[in-house]
Amino acid sequence: MGKEKIKICEEFYDIMPPEYRELVDSSTYGKEGRGWKDVGVAKELIEEHSLCAGCPESIAFRYVLACLPNPEDTVMVGSTGCTSLVFPHVAVHNIHSLFGNQNAVASGLKRALAHRFPGKVKDVVVLAGDGATVDIGLDMTLQSWFRQEKFLTICFDNELYANTGGQESGLMQKGFVSKMAPAGKKFDKVRLPEIAEESGCHYVATLTVSKPNRVEKAIRQGVLIAREVGPTYIQLYTPCILEIGKQAMEGLQEMRDSEGPNERFAFKEYISEEAKAYLASLEKEKKPAAIPTQG
Amino acid sequence: MYAVAEVVDEACVAHKGCRLCIMYCPEADTILFDKTKKVAVVVEQRCKGCELCVVVCSAAKHNAIRLVHR
Repeated sequence: MGKEKIKICEEFYDIMPPEYRELVDSSTYGKEGRGWKDVGVAKELIEEHSLCAGCPESIAFRYVLACLPNPEDTVMVGSTGCTSLVFPHVAVHNIHSLFGNQNAVASGLKRALAHRFPGKVKDVVVLAGDGATVDIGLDMTLQSWFRQEKFLTICFDNELYANTGGQESGLMQKGFVSKMAPAGKKFDKVRLPEIAEESGCHYVATLTVSKPNRVEKAIRQGVLIAREVGPTYIQLYTPCILEIGKQAMEGLQEMRDSEGPNERFAFKEYISEEAKAYLASLEKEKKPAAIPTQG
Repeated sequence: MYAVAEVVDEACVAHKGCRLCIMYCPEADTILFDKTKKVAVVVEQRCKGCELCVVVCSAAKHNAIRLVHR
């Protein structure tokens, strides 16, 4: 689609807000091979959000939005939490429904889009916090994977309910003491990536957002595999610096510390055989196209 | 009084391909790459003063960003 739909009528160009004009002039809608390298030189699809200064979640948001392969034909489904504060500032279609039912909404949406726009590529991406994905919405999350619904689920894992003051969440690490969970957590962090593998996800990745090229690769593969093969799941560590008692500039170091080889967010990737075959076929398609241009 | 980031143009190595501050800034469209001057520029109205850019820039020994009070 590119930018035809957002172009401004010439008479009204001067009265449009400058951010909108920038979006039309230099955003990356419709660009082949979008990626994190576009940030800083092209208009990003997120603008003046209300997250705290230095919040790693907002770094994650920037990368995710910069790396979606097809933003103009993508619908994002959010859920309650800090992420829902950002969605009004995002230039991608998005839906917010009840707390925890994001995967159910996305299932219906994906089917409706396939029915309404047959033959057109429409991506659905779920982006929710760990509370919505693992605690409150676990039922919907798992059921959508069992049913092999074709969309990508991204979980922003900050290991607690940060938005409401630091309550214990299923993804919190064992023994962690937070403001609203003073006794410390009694059981282990829920191993959702392994559960996702067992539940039928074709691509599962666990990583932090300290390396943008890794995030780009994961998001791209997650969306592409979800288009053709089946459900995909990405768990991104986005620590809440306020709730773990860090300064605004310490979030990046925290992520780097927790992605060491034996740490809980060491980079892990699972690709099913079917998905591997699909990725290989995509690579093949690219290569023959390159030969005629060289000749 | 607010703290915002400021780029020291002479020390900035963005012309060599460095994008550290642009990459790790949590705010969107806040640190941009100036194509004519080949340096990073901070859009002050959007800067929240988290100091993350200062940390990554000094860790790489470029020391091209500092916090200033406005």
